[in-house]
Amino acid sequence: MSRLNAFLLLILFTASSGTARGVEPTAADNHYREAIKAVSAKDYTTALTEFELALDIDPDNLRFASDYRQAVILAKQYDRCLGFFEKLVTAAPAASNAYLNYGFAYVDKIPDAGAITQVILANKSLSLFSRSIELKPSWIAYYTRGNSSLFWPKIFGRTPLGVADLEEAMKLQKTENKRGFHVRAYIALGDGYWKMGELDKARTLWREGLAQFPGTSPLVERLAVEGDPLKALIDGMYDPNKRVDTNLHELWTD
Amino acid sequence: MRISVAVFCAGLVMAASGSDAVDRGFEDVTQTAGIAHKHTNRSFKNAYAAIMEGYTALGAAAAVADFNGDGLDDLFVTDSQESGKNRLYRNNGDFTFSDVAERAGVANGNDAENASSDALWFDYDNDGHPDLLVLRFGHNQLFHNLGNGAFRDVTRRAGLDRSMNAIAAVAFDYDRDGWLDLFIGSYFQPVNLFRPATPRFFPENFETANNGGGVTLFHNSGNGSFTDATEKAGLKTSGWTLDLGHADADNDGDDDLYVACDFGTDRFFVNNGDGTFSDMTEKAIGIDTKKGMNVDWGDYDGDGFLDVYVTNITDDYMREGNFLWHNNGNLSFSDVSRETGTYDSGWGWAGKFLDYDNDGWLDLYVVNGWVSAGKENYVPDIFEMIVRPGVDLADARNWPPMGNKSLSGYQKKKLFHNEQGQIFTEQAARHGLDSVRDGRGIAVADFDNDGRLDLFVTNANSEPFLYRNTLPAGSHWVEFLLQGAKSNREAVGAQVRLTAAGRTRLSFVNAGNGFASQSTRRVHFGLGSGKTIESVEIRWPSGARQLFRQLQPDRIYRIAEGSAAARHFTAKGVKK
Repeated sequence: MSRLNAFLLLILFTASSGTARGVEPTAADNHYREAIKAVSAKDYTTALTEFELALDIDPDNLRFASDYRQAVILAKQYDRCLGFFEKLVTAAPAASNAYLNYGFAYVDKIPDAGAITQVILANKSLSLFSRSIELKPSWIAYYTRGNSSLFWPKIFGRTPLGVADLEEAMKLQKTENKRGFHVRAYIALGDGYWKMGELDKARTLWREGLAQFPGTSPLVERLAVEGDPLKALIDGMYDPNKRVDTNLHELWTD
Repeated sequence: MRISVAVFCAGLVMAASGSDAVDRGFEDVTQTAGIAHKHTNRSFKNAYAAIMEGYTALGAAAAVADFNGDGLDDLFVTDSQESGKNRLYRNNGDFTFSDVAERAGVANGNDAENASSDALWFDYDNDGHPDLLVLRFGHNQLFHNLGNGAFRDVTRRAGLDRSMNAIAAVAFDYDRDGWLDLFIGSYFQPVNLFRPATPRFFPENFETANNGGGVTLFHNSGNGSFTDATEKAGLKTSGWTLDLGHADADNDGDDDLYVACDFGTDRFFVNNGDGTFSDMTEKAIGIDTKKGMNVDWGDYDGDGFLDVYVTNITDDYMREGNFLWHNNGNLSFSDVSRETGTYDSGWGWAGKFLDYDNDGWLDLYVVNGWVSAGKENYVPDIFEMIVRPGVDLADARNWPPMGNKSLSGYQKKKLFHNEQGQIFTEQAARHGLDSVRDGRGIAVADFDNDGRLDLFVTNANSEPFLYRNTLPAGSHWVEFLLQGAKSNREAVGAQVRLTAAGRTRLSFVNAGNGFASQSTRRVHFGLGSGKTIESVEIRWPSGARQLFRQLQPDRIYRIAEGSAAARHFTAKGVKK
């Protein structure tokens, strides 16, 4: 199944489940529903407009914003998206999820940018993730900022900051009910330790993650190799030229 | 299929390389050859000097030609410091060289208002004596070779005396009128870098900068003078040009152009055959944002079309990757650098195609490294500037001085061995070619006429290297020295198709391709174990074609346009 089809199926499913919440759809829901229909018809112009109308009404809605960005990626309308989020956070300065998605909008543009612009975009995204944390510390915000920091080359000294964020995310998830996406913190934090040269600590954490989430491929792969193959595996995961999956659907489907 | 074949071949290569031990293939003879004079970067004496230091570590260049017609390739090598002398190394035939630049009148390429940046030999007046163009940040110099060991400065008379901040040049006959024209690339705009009237002469951004020096096409009038034909030919650009390469990309008989640009998009121009060019960049190679620094053309996979190798920046902090543009045969190219293993050569400079082991496949040697200085790294400084909101990058005052910091320094050079046109394996260390100096140019030539290609490598702020090829002499080879009649006398642009063991290979005469270095004008083919050459076809720039059959290998042939004979060539006074 192509990435596009999987995305469409997912959002059609989640859109239809919106009415199953047993509440009357709001105006924002209606715009969201129209946006989803337009995406399935590949009418991205309409889709983006409808998503934006939905977010104007409900700026802190994580799902609206995440699906909006996925449509933006399909339409390659990154600058429109960035302009929209800039206005959105100005209008809703307390919407932490809007800041989070604003940051992701910069991340979404990175694979289509040149090497230097990638740095500028990544730097902007980090500051927006920080603002999101300031407004509402959450697992997703700490995980996101921590994981983003791991993409920076060692010379910039951001790895320890990323590890600190990921340790915070790990603390938070241990106080919450176990969710499928929590395995991501085990993977990323282990990678952070590896990048800091703490291989034993990394392997211990990956093993712990595997015990918690048996069969998780990224953990199995990391634990199966050492030395250069492990380096190649992790370097490949943090290649800025590869698109990072920033779809947040796990947060409401898991 | 290309990838799977490549992976399969890689497996074979790895299996094979584990079992055979081959001796080092090159010997560093720089000192014994008398050719070890150090290059020194220009230090500026103006308000922006501390900043400019970090961005002008250029000018270590070399150009090969047999300037005195004795059958041995000689070398011209630049310095860039204000008191630095350029060198004309006459080849003594025994792998020693004598600097005759002062006597020849070509030593003085540097002064308070000019810094040498590159050099090009080309016979602009078709008198059989290669003339010398010295490119400079400032005004270029053209020296007419008088044929008696002396040169005369004819820059003004030739109409070339203008401020250009030039960094690269190729000579080719774009309109096929029998006279070599000049295509020059400039890095900075034509501001006076020694006394800038404005601080706004740095690149306006890192990926699409259009405030550089661009390119200039000078048409050779045939009477010793040149006229600016840039706009008329449709070649107007304003990028930060670092290198140029000419070759016939579509085998239609005229040479096309690739322009490598720092801070922005490389350009590809197709020769329309009527004295004009069309910018086909978008269709041919797409719009890139990388830091192009080298252009060399060669048919690495033997499909009869010339491919292009372009170096960019690849390091932990910036993973652009080089381009190995596979020529698709329809004036479009596909980058196959990743699948061929030629993607990463660090902060690349010159990258030259050559068949160093005479196995019949073009290999690649690539030099690299920007500034190798102290332990502190300049990367955080530059990125701190980049992320500063609203920073005016064109203003030199906003750029951080580099001081004694390093930037992509101490990088090991790369020798990519071509495994039958599918994949390359890195073998620089094995052959003693993995120096960590800040390499710039690579001049490839057979300095001792033994059929094995030698290397002269220039290094910024450092001594050069002369590597003598000492690989076992078992593989066969052949070289051709062409002389045009109706075509330009140096036969620049002539294509040679050699068929041996049922396989046809393509090469051509180029003048100046590759960053900061001009290689030999001779066309060299490795033949492997093949002892017979079935045929050699020459397509001259004039359009004439000649076919020669059953030539003997392991010889250098001199072929004149229109002459039925391929003459075995012997250098005067070669000392074995």
